[in-house]
Amino acid sequence: MNVLETRHVTMRFGGLTAVDDLNIVIEEGEIVSLIGPNGAGKTTCFNVITGIYQPTEGEVFFYGEKLNGKRPDQVASIGISRTFQNIRLFKTMTVLENVLCATHFNRHSGLFSNILHLPNALKEEGLNRDKALKILDEVGLAQYADWKATSLPYGLQRRLEIARALVSEPKLLLLDEPAAGMNPKESDELADFIFEIKDKFHITVFLIEHHMKLVMKISDRIYVTQYGKTIAMGTPEEIRNNPLVIQAYLGEEG
Amino acid sequence: MEKKNNAIFQRILENRNKVLTIVFLALIMVIVGNLKPWFGSYWVRVFNTCCIYSMVTMSMNLVNGCTGIFTMGSPGFMCIGAYTTAILTLTPEVKDAVYYLSPIAPWLRELNTSFPVALLLGGLFAAIAAFIIGFPVLRLSGDYLSIATMAFSEIARVIMLNAQSITNGPIGITKIKNHVTVWVAFMALVSVYVLLRLLMRSTYGRALKAVRDDPVAAEAIGIPLFRTKMTSFIISGFIAGIAGGLLASLVGTIDANQFVYSYVNQFLLMMILGGNGSMTGSILGSFVITTALEVFRFMDEPIDFGFWKYPGIGGMRMVLFSISLMLIVLFWEHGIMGSNEFSWDRIIERVKKLVSSIRGLFKRKEEQA
Repeated sequence: MNVLETRHVTMRFGGLTAVDDLNIVIEEGEIVSLIGPNGAGKTTCFNVITGIYQPTEGEVFFYGEKLNGKRPDQVASIGISRTFQNIRLFKTMTVLENVLCATHFNRHSGLFSNILHLPNALKEEGLNRDKALKILDEVGLAQYADWKATSLPYGLQRRLEIARALVSEPKLLLLDEPAAGMNPKESDELADFIFEIKDKFHITVFLIEHHMKLVMKISDRIYVTQYGKTIAMGTPEEIRNNPLVIQAYLGEEG
Repeated sequence: MEKKNNAIFQRILENRNKVLTIVFLALIMVIVGNLKPWFGSYWVRVFNTCCIYSMVTMSMNLVNGCTGIFTMGSPGFMCIGAYTTAILTLTPEVKDAVYYLSPIAPWLRELNTSFPVALLLGGLFAAIAAFIIGFPVLRLSGDYLSIATMAFSEIARVIMLNAQSITNGPIGITKIKNHVTVWVAFMALVSVYVLLRLLMRSTYGRALKAVRDDPVAAEAIGIPLFRTKMTSFIISGFIAGIAGGLLASLVGTIDANQFVYSYVNQFLLMMILGGNGSMTGSILGSFVITTALEVFRFMDEPIDFGFWKYPGIGGMRMVLFSISLMLIVLFWEHGIMGSNEFSWDRIIERVKKLVSSIRGLFKRKEEQA
């Protein structure tokens, strides 16, 4: 079953075509990367999938369900979670509260029982808290639960953002440059971390990344885009030897 | 015997915060109960006004401080609540006397409910107004949203001013019976405060804060922006409506021009002084500013300094008030509370620090000696 499928997705902003005829197929349990030079329309592609932008043309399917016309919160609630290139945490909240926010859409108790702290709301809050603490424990942030989110070191903030994305039990996780600003050691740890969460949570991972070493290490398949167009697709080995990709990254031979 | 005493002492220590809260509440209750004999009816009125303004400020804080959407529509909601309460609590006979220029609409004349029902209906109508204007307004952002809410407030006022057969037009409504005793005002304030604190501690409160901190991230984790903003806006409208009703009853007479849009500035100042995002701060801000405005009244009257006679300039208190506000904003930008709420732990920590710093001062002197 295809987890995600984009059919002829095109995104234009006025005269600029940021994504041009994008066709991506991701199967269950895969780790797929999207790479390309700066400005190739990678983040735009994520924004189209998650509903921040509606594609000018084309369709996006998630487990056969059409995503066109859905708002970001609706996309999130059917099982697509994402992280952001520039970390977006809720800065006035603690680490635990950040994760708890992602359990909001899944609530069964109403506004009034929550205001009055009725037993059903309290019970649900307790369950969510346990779930959030468990996720924090699994990503190694349990001891920071009561810290202000923004007081965490950079690498851990990235982890927290992933924890927040995982607590709603998504089927597909979109990671937008998870290794940005990390040193080689940290990005090695990140690679292990991505493998780990993929197995633990049975999710499919789609990521944008610039760190070639990381991409080559973890990806099952890689899509390469340039100026919005997909120029290559294949396993890391195929991509490494693809002349078009080499040209896009290193320029033409002088 | 001593052992038993120790055990009791231990339990008090364990429940320190609860004990402190009970003692504090009891103290406040005693003060509120004796407000009239101790301070006189003038200050009772000031206190009631403080309570009502606190409610309005908290309702603004819920939207502006906690949800991060800068609205300025409070006078409009207060206006709706005030008129509803006023019209519903007047008896048909009194209505005939009040609507002397042109008579009240017949269906409205017979409508007469008790004060609590009128108050709740006032809140409800304000909430409905919030719901209706929320659709266009909450889709806007930033300055445009503020201006749109301000415009709503003006529209509500102008409608009230011109709906002669319902609101008595520019003459306004008089002879409203005063139901607002110290206890009514105080209990209304406490219940709004408690409910809002409980709301902010729940998953809905977190959703509001998430929308304020980062709307893009909030939406990406499944929090619907529009619905969340709408929830906050409606609750805020409801509370402002109730506060308007209480105000109408306290003052005894209302006219639409009382709710002119610049009225909102006052609540804005109270909110900023108290601390954006802090309900406790809103209450403190309202009490400080309302009381200060009363205390500064001496500035308007002549004062004899002995060597110089101050002639007393009308409006001088507003000048002094404005200057102190500027100083506060300049040197104390986060307000009294910042975005923190009331907590015994923090207060005790502060007191401990203060005590130790004073002790340090004395120690140094001893060493010098």
